[in-house]
Amino acid sequence: MTPSIPILPTTSVGSFPKPDYLKRARAQASRGEIKEKKLRELEERATREWIHFQEEIGIDILVDGEMYRDDMVTYFAETLKGFEISGLVRSYGNRYYRKPVVVDEIKRAKPVTVEWFQFAQHLTKKPVKGMLTGPYTIMDWSFNEYYRDRRELTLALAEVIHEEAVDLEKAGAQYIQIDEPAISVRPEELPLAIEAMKIATRGLRAKTITHICYGDFQKIYPDLLEIPVDQIDLELSNSEFDLLALFKRYPFTKEIGLGVIDVHSHVVETKDQVKERIERALDVFRPEQIYVDPDCGLKTREVQEAKDKLRVMVEATKEIRKKLEMASLNR
Amino acid sequence: MLTVTVVSHYPKIGDSPEEQLLRRSFGQFDRKEINEAELERIKDEVTQQVIQEQIEAGVEVITDGQIRWDDPMTYLAGKIKGFTLTGLLRYFDTNTFYRQPIAAEELEDPGGLVVKDFQFANAISSVPVKAVLTGPYTLAKLSRNRYYKNEEEFAARLADILGEETKRLARAGAKWIQFDEPALLRFKKELPLFEKIWTRLASFFPEGIETILFLNFGNLQGIYPAISELPVGSLGFDLAGPPATKHGGSAEQFGGSENWRILERTPLKKKLVAGIVDARNTKMETEEELSKKLERLLALVSGEDLSLSPNYGLEFLPRAAAKKKLAHLSKVVREFREAKVKV
Repeated sequence: MTPSIPILPTTSVGSFPKPDYLKRARAQASRGEIKEKKLRELEERATREWIHFQEEIGIDILVDGEMYRDDMVTYFAETLKGFEISGLVRSYGNRYYRKPVVVDEIKRAKPVTVEWFQFAQHLTKKPVKGMLTGPYTIMDWSFNEYYRDRRELTLALAEVIHEEAVDLEKAGAQYIQIDEPAISVRPEELPLAIEAMKIATRGLRAKTITHICYGDFQKIYPDLLEIPVDQIDLELSNSEFDLLALFKRYPFTKEIGLGVIDVHSHVVETKDQVKERIERALDVFRPEQIYVDPDCGLKTREVQEAKDKLRVMVEATKEIRKKLEMASLNR
Repeated sequence: MLTVTVVSHYPKIGDSPEEQLLRRSFGQFDRKEINEAELERIKDEVTQQVIQEQIEAGVEVITDGQIRWDDPMTYLAGKIKGFTLTGLLRYFDTNTFYRQPIAAEELEDPGGLVVKDFQFANAISSVPVKAVLTGPYTLAKLSRNRYYKNEEEFAARLADILGEETKRLARAGAKWIQFDEPALLRFKKELPLFEKIWTRLASFFPEGIETILFLNFGNLQGIYPAISELPVGSLGFDLAGPPATKHGGSAEQFGGSENWRILERTPLKKKLVAGIVDARNTKMETEEELSKKLERLLALVSGEDLSLSPNYGLEFLPRAAAKKKLAHLSKVVREFREAKVKV
């Protein structure tokens, strides 16, 4: 039986840091020094460890931690037909990534994420989220050598992401998150992202979520609320919760994934800090609207930092929950 | 004379192990396996590598590839005393970032921003080297001002520092000096302020220097032809980016086809650096497409006054694609010249 979800459910945005043994193995695999099968074993081991950790600290809605993904767009481009992977392109400082190139019609010859979803879901009775990258973001982060324009490519991607979401639902996913971090960069393309998300989420019964980060929300809010998903997950800690003022002016009509942990900082938040963030959010949102999570994927933190941050997040949430229960009893 | 040139940066690494020297060396530097002097020597070596690549690809006026630059803001602001560099911000609509400078006190001219880099590149290059600077308006606009009374005073101070740099570059032998001012296309209403800042900057321009104002990350709608009155020798802009479509992309973001429309309506009364190669997509322009664009341009500008280039710096592309695109452009120009000789 599936455990029931409490008020203020705790969850994660997607990625967790890879343990050192997996980082080493991935480097070895890229040099051809170990076999695919060995790497897969280690990815499974790391996934098991993260699932067990999330259960142990009492997170309510789990993620598989993406031990087998490198970049959130490249991972899809590697499996979908129509993509090639380019040479290295720099993002900042000494960081480079391989940007996908669309060279042909995009098709989904086989599911991309379903197998890993099933693997993770079989390890726990708690729900595991299905994790997808949104069509607009895949388009924006790829070179386009095939489709006529950005819209045509985005809509083609929306269809394959839809197929993938349907398969995740069939495999038992109760929550499907379709991340669109690129959405906040070009406000004038928000209608395109919404059009694509309508296709991607068409007919789904699972709870749908989208995660958005790094951007000028002033320019896309409240239009953002038209994205056809049940929940929008936002980075709030990194901006000192500035967005709350905006949400007071225009009510946030969906569920909110409330980022309460800064994923860019090594410093582990105190329980009081996190409690204060949740309480400030409770001034603006109804408790049933709120899902508590970190700002973004935790993959850039050290394993121990990520664990400490998640633990604080869960403990703080539990205390607030208790307070809410007391308040409702006293009413 | 019809010239093949580039805009600003060149990819710092490529796919082969030799081409990844800089990335490896930064890693070694972080692990304290090499010292700063060694890292600087490697930056020189990579600069030499990318100068060679541009020449091999047929570029006739090159840049040093800005191998030492982290981004268009940090490298310059980091050298100007009075600026503090803070958190990472997205650079326009790209997937690249810059550290936002904050001016918290009087800005001091360091007495050299890119002069040494220019001298190094110029000494080893067999073709002319263009010095490239971020313009005073963009430097001010993407920074924060906590010291100067207002934005105009802040940008004017930067214009003075860059103006002095222009004189130093001229003394060091630079013939071509380019200023990149992408921020103007995001704040077009500020053209009057931009004109004031540029009049001030231009008062420093020495005789005999070819100055270029390069504008990208948008189109010229609303500021053209007014900007052709600015005190600068050449104007450069995007003539390659994808067209705006009904729901995907807007004219604001994608300058290429909008700029063609604007230019064909009112021909430019200045020298033109035409960014006809798309440096933000790996899709290769065909020689036919480029030849057609060249013909269209020659109907508007005399060959004497025309340079051809990509629409952006090349770092948004993998190195192999960047080099191939430059080679295509040069080939088209070469064939055009040969055809002309035959006639």
